[in-house]
Amino acid sequence: MTSPHGLRTLLRGAVRPPDNDSAFLLDVHRRAVPRERMARYDDAYPVDLVIVGAGAGGATLAQRLARRGWKVVVLEVGPFWDPDEDWVSDEAGSHKLYWTDKRIIGGTDPVELGKNNSGRGVGGSMVHYAGYCPRFHPSDFEVRTRDGVGEDWPISYADLKPHFERLELELPVAGDWWPWGDPHRYPHTAHPIAGGAEAAWAGARKLGIEMRVGPVGITNGSFGNRPHCIYRGFCLQGCKVNAKASPLVTHIPDAIQHAAEIRDGCMATHIELDDSSGRVTGVRYIRGERECFQRAEAVAVAGYSIETPRLLLNSTSRRFPSGLANGNDQVGRCVMVQGATQVAGRFPEEMRMYKAPPPEISSEQFYETDPARGFARGFSIQTVGPLPIEWAQHVLADGHWGMALREYMRDYNHWYTLGVLCELLPLPENRVTVVPEVCDQNGLPVARMDYTQCENDRKNIAFAKQTLHDVFEAAEAQDVLVIDRYAHLVGGCRMGVDPERSVVDSDHRTWEVPNLFIADGSVMPTQGSANPALTIMALASRLAERLDLKRVGESGSRRRRRGERQRPVLSRSGGG
Amino acid sequence: MARDFRQAAHLPNLREDRQPASPEELPRQRNGVTPQMHGRYPDFNVVDEIDHWDEATRRIVLERVEQAPPIRFFTTEEARTLGAFCDVVMAQDREPRIPVVNMVDAKLFAGQLDGFQFDDLPDDRETWRRVALGLDAAARQHGVREFASAPHEVQVRVIGAFADGELHGEVWDELPPARAWSVVMRAVLSAFYSHPWAWNEIGFGGPAYPRGYARLAAGQRESWEGAPAFERDPVKDTQGRGVEGT
Repeated sequence: MTSPHGLRTLLRGAVRPPDNDSAFLLDVHRRAVPRERMARYDDAYPVDLVIVGAGAGGATLAQRLARRGWKVVVLEVGPFWDPDEDWVSDEAGSHKLYWTDKRIIGGTDPVELGKNNSGRGVGGSMVHYAGYCPRFHPSDFEVRTRDGVGEDWPISYADLKPHFERLELELPVAGDWWPWGDPHRYPHTAHPIAGGAEAAWAGARKLGIEMRVGPVGITNGSFGNRPHCIYRGFCLQGCKVNAKASPLVTHIPDAIQHAAEIRDGCMATHIELDDSSGRVTGVRYIRGERECFQRAEAVAVAGYSIETPRLLLNSTSRRFPSGLANGNDQVGRCVMVQGATQVAGRFPEEMRMYKAPPPEISSEQFYETDPARGFARGFSIQTVGPLPIEWAQHVLADGHWGMALREYMRDYNHWYTLGVLCELLPLPENRVTVVPEVCDQNGLPVARMDYTQCENDRKNIAFAKQTLHDVFEAAEAQDVLVIDRYAHLVGGCRMGVDPERSVVDSDHRTWEVPNLFIADGSVMPTQGSANPALTIMALASRLAERLDLKRVGESGSRRRRRGERQRPVLSRSGGG
Repeated sequence: MARDFRQAAHLPNLREDRQPASPEELPRQRNGVTPQMHGRYPDFNVVDEIDHWDEATRRIVLERVEQAPPIRFFTTEEARTLGAFCDVVMAQDREPRIPVVNMVDAKLFAGQLDGFQFDDLPDDRETWRRVALGLDAAARQHGVREFASAPHEVQVRVIGAFADGELHGEVWDELPPARAWSVVMRAVLSAFYSHPWAWNEIGFGGPAYPRGYARLAAGQRESWEGAPAFERDPVKDTQGRGVEGT
């Protein structure tokens, strides 16, 4: 069965994921998630867990724990999407999918937020991600030990591997046999690729660069009541087909089936702390005009790398005057993005790169450190398919406007685009803070993100960019256009073994508050060169297992259900 | 004059002055509208396909074609300056024009911002107003009264300096031009290339739900996607379509 030609290969695509019926709970003809029978909890009823944020982390955690009988409420600021009505095949019309409240960006190399990396609504940013679902490599968890940079994780690849495997069945992920990192196969076979990808691949082959198709969280064949992808190309605008995986279709239906409540339109404003016990008691939030308070035995924050630190920093109290769980001034630090330069090549034939999902082929050949390159860690290469507005930004970035820009735009159909994801290193000065003098519509201080690259980052990006140039040259592209940009967000509340250098322990529990957890990408100490979605889900999946098996010491809810009303504050041994 | 678009000689990076050939050499649009009525897909009108789009997409795209939103955010003077800026920066020298400044105005009026603000810039709305002042200031440095009525060459030089981050004095001492350029161009390009007339010009197949795309290989297209004009012999084409001598 371990052979690529074994029984599992024959059954590819027919294997139903264990313990998750989401794909079968969706309607065959309507895209909206059925929720007529969704549980509703009273605010005053202390649920087992309240989760802030219904994205990759929050939704996965909710589904796992609801399956195990926990009473879970998820607060989500955005709407419960109905893809039929709310989503469109249109770039400009998809503005509402992004987090567009004000945030200030600074530093030497400021990171544009909004549509690039910040989601809003049930499903989170995975509603508008491209669909790439690579695993992290084993090396990602020990970059300090191996390469002398960044930080080691307090957990290893082996801790997440079973969750990667399970999630790949649940999404499901389609792709070729994967030779990099920990080699593995995917449950769905690889999608067809477009002409542009074939041309770029031919170039890569001449240089000895290996490429593979995938891995993408897009059905290749029907999956439950989710149909086959129709290659419409608007993956980044929300999948109207329900073919692309996002928690909205992969985990929310099953969570609802198991009595989780997904409460949309709720802006969490403050996590309440009982100063005498040092435990959190629930989450204050605004729904419509009304301020509410959801009581809970434990709180998990899953608002991603900007909103999670912001909520903690805004949740001040007598015990935590500079922000909840921020006694060591670690909240918001080491926020990371990947260097995501894109290079486009021009070909004699029409490539029409707007067709098919933007994720097609990728390479992780440059993922690991190669001392000969003169910098630590590396990058991956992936295809991207910019639609006209994104393509216009690409042309502008190469220095064209007016007639020249119009000419490049008219040439759109002849181009194909490759991007890189460079692993940029975690730096404490790259940080999310709050700006007390600038408030949002609810009177809450907005977030500020400062970002500056280090020397290793600049070398990595420059090398990666040159590699893309080389690929297009080998592919005999007639012209190239370059845009420097960033992608993804992780870090900001990292996990670690030392409270002086991290916010949560290896079980996502904040060092300073025993019943407060962080369950999103902000816990990641490093980012690899992989798109983070799958790893964020895997972390949440592992956290659920730890919580439920009480491996994290005490879990208030489980004890309570068994009538053990006394909940001793966990004492932590060592901590370093 | 026929051009072979299998070759890339028309592309600015490959030409000595980094400027393209005149678009006047391109065919006139025969079906539907493109900005200034030139393009490479003269018989492709993406709006012909609306019956194949889902209702939500149809609504939002057609709204853009049917009316230019009124100016409600900018003052009359600002709208005049910025209207001239949007025309020159998008090379819209005559009708039909995509009403870029109106579309930007509507977005700013609705407070529809993009979710980030550079720490050395004001709010995007205020940045736009200051850019209007700054364009006039830069035009005065060239000895003309204002940007909107300045000769085309002056407008082009001012915008070129703006694009290069090389504007100085008055407003520009407090408004970093390179950053401000990225803010205004993000909005300009989002407006222009959200318009179906621009999709016609570039041959973008557009929304394809629920129909989808099936022909993915190099050089292939769906039956309804537009053919580039230059794939045909112009003489045979005009004979074939019976428009000889018109």
